[in-house]
Amino acid sequence: MTTPMTRRNFIRGTTAAVLGASTMFGRTPAVQANKTRVILIRHPDALGADSAFNEPIIQQMLDAAVAKLLDQSDPVEAFKQLVKPEDIVGIKTNVWSFLPTPAPVEKAIKRRVLDAGVKEENVGLDDHNVRTNPIFLKATALINARPIRTHYLAGMSGCLKNYIMFGESQEFYHPDSCAALGSLFLLPQVKGKTRLNVLCALTPQFYGRGPHNFSRRYVWNYKGLIVGQDPVAVDTIGLQLIKAKRRKELGPAQELPPVPKHIQLADTRYGIGTSNLEQIELIKMGWLDDVMI
Amino acid sequence: MVFIAMRIARAIAAVFFSALNCFAGGNVKDIGPKIPGQILEWNASGDDSVFNRKTLYDYMDGGAEVYLAYDFREVFVRRYVDSEENEIVLDIYDMGSPAEAYGIFSCDREDPPAGIGQGSEYGLGLLRFWRGSSFVAITVSGNEEKAEKAVLELGKAVASILGPDGPLPGMLDLLPKDGVQADKTSYFHNDVHLSNRYFVSSDNILNLDEKTACVFAEYVSKSGDSGRLLIIRYPDSAATQAAFASFRKSFLPEADANGAARTENKKWTMVKMRDNLVAVVFEGSSREYAGRLAETINRPPK
Repeated sequence: MTTPMTRRNFIRGTTAAVLGASTMFGRTPAVQANKTRVILIRHPDALGADSAFNEPIIQQMLDAAVAKLLDQSDPVEAFKQLVKPEDIVGIKTNVWSFLPTPAPVEKAIKRRVLDAGVKEENVGLDDHNVRTNPIFLKATALINARPIRTHYLAGMSGCLKNYIMFGESQEFYHPDSCAALGSLFLLPQVKGKTRLNVLCALTPQFYGRGPHNFSRRYVWNYKGLIVGQDPVAVDTIGLQLIKAKRRKELGPAQELPPVPKHIQLADTRYGIGTSNLEQIELIKMGWLDDVMI
Repeated sequence: MVFIAMRIARAIAAVFFSALNCFAGGNVKDIGPKIPGQILEWNASGDDSVFNRKTLYDYMDGGAEVYLAYDFREVFVRRYVDSEENEIVLDIYDMGSPAEAYGIFSCDREDPPAGIGQGSEYGLGLLRFWRGSSFVAITVSGNEEKAEKAVLELGKAVASILGPDGPLPGMLDLLPKDGVQADKTSYFHNDVHLSNRYFVSSDNILNLDEKTACVFAEYVSKSGDSGRLLIIRYPDSAATQAAFASFRKSFLPEADANGAARTENKKWTMVKMRDNLVAVVFEGSSREYAGRLAETINRPPK
């Protein structure tokens, strides 16, 4: 039996219910000795004046974020902690035409996976075909990379929702505001394999309109990456960013995207990470103007 | 009995309207030849497509549920491109009835009216309008400013072949007229749309589904009062009572005998029930004003 989170909880400031505290959806987790580290890194030149992605800067951002995530001074050494030369690595990207995973992010990840010693023929990059792609079928390690945006059903599309293509049926995961997305990480093809999550906040989408729930008006150049090993913690931070931007642009009444419950449930029901802000060590790096969170 | 009679009358009206519809009950796959293949310097590109309830996911990665929550039947899709590869995408949705077409239009309004169809709006690369049983969205990818004139021309051309006009949802008649913000009024069925329109709860505490009909409207009166009114029609009294009890328990446990409580933001929330209807007022500026809005369900139906 769980207690619904209502608008009134939010107004009261019991946003434990909204974002942080896993107690909201039914259980109180044991306090963890070590916090889950999440890196937010931004760079003012990550996008050019024409909003084109700056590939060298994005590589620098990824390198610095992963190195800090694993307390390494060298990014290749950090990636060597994530993947081993004998690994078969699937990079789960996102090809949504309006806001895909930026190619420079895909390239930056793949470059460092190769630098860590993984053979090129053992590295795959895919979205819709992960259930049939031979690399993904044999994968011993997964890297999860996608942009952050609001979603009409789930409230937010982040690293958790990015794995929906591993499910036999996407529709199966849609009821109850996509409450079961966390279970995707327990599928045999996925369980225990995710080494890194890269939530691209280079151009986040904070509100959805139109036939495909996308309008360029609601995308802004935040120029950031949110990086961590725990997809729940990464999405929890991402939701903070979306909320902050919505509050600023749409006002307090629209601060909440519809029902961001799947993030908490990935923690409390499926146990794949933490949605408790008190258990997350957020490290902000780089450019901090209008960082918002 | 009154409400059953109203629903029967509405069903008869829908059948009558379907017979009048100029493209045979909204079969959008036959509409292609009637639509211009060229608009200013944009030309139709590639084959036209039609998607139905089963195939809509093939077209919309992440947005299909918005339409499936209504009585969506089919969508006709045509793309236009110019010499600079700017793209205009025309979507014509057969929503099954004028009420449903109005509904999908009403849930997503942000922009100024464009004077097209029975209701419309245009803003930076997005034209939305409805007429009869059809809802239309025209979207630009690329240079939105350059495409504006073509988008509006295309919209007018499409609207002219979608007639005749259809009736608004009967539920709108339940809304008090004084102070209602027409462009902040929405008609829908389930909690997905309520959550996007106005977040109430992470769970479906009002038991909304495809069998419920809802209107949600924002109010600002001349005297400065304000509030948001949600009216829900349930299929029977048992469902009405269950939803009423669920809402009170989950959202307004301290409500007084009149179903009212002052909430954390110093505004008034009130819930009332009659026959198959539940009315909820959120963020009423005063108890009296919340009461006046909620009392609407006790007026005799027209």
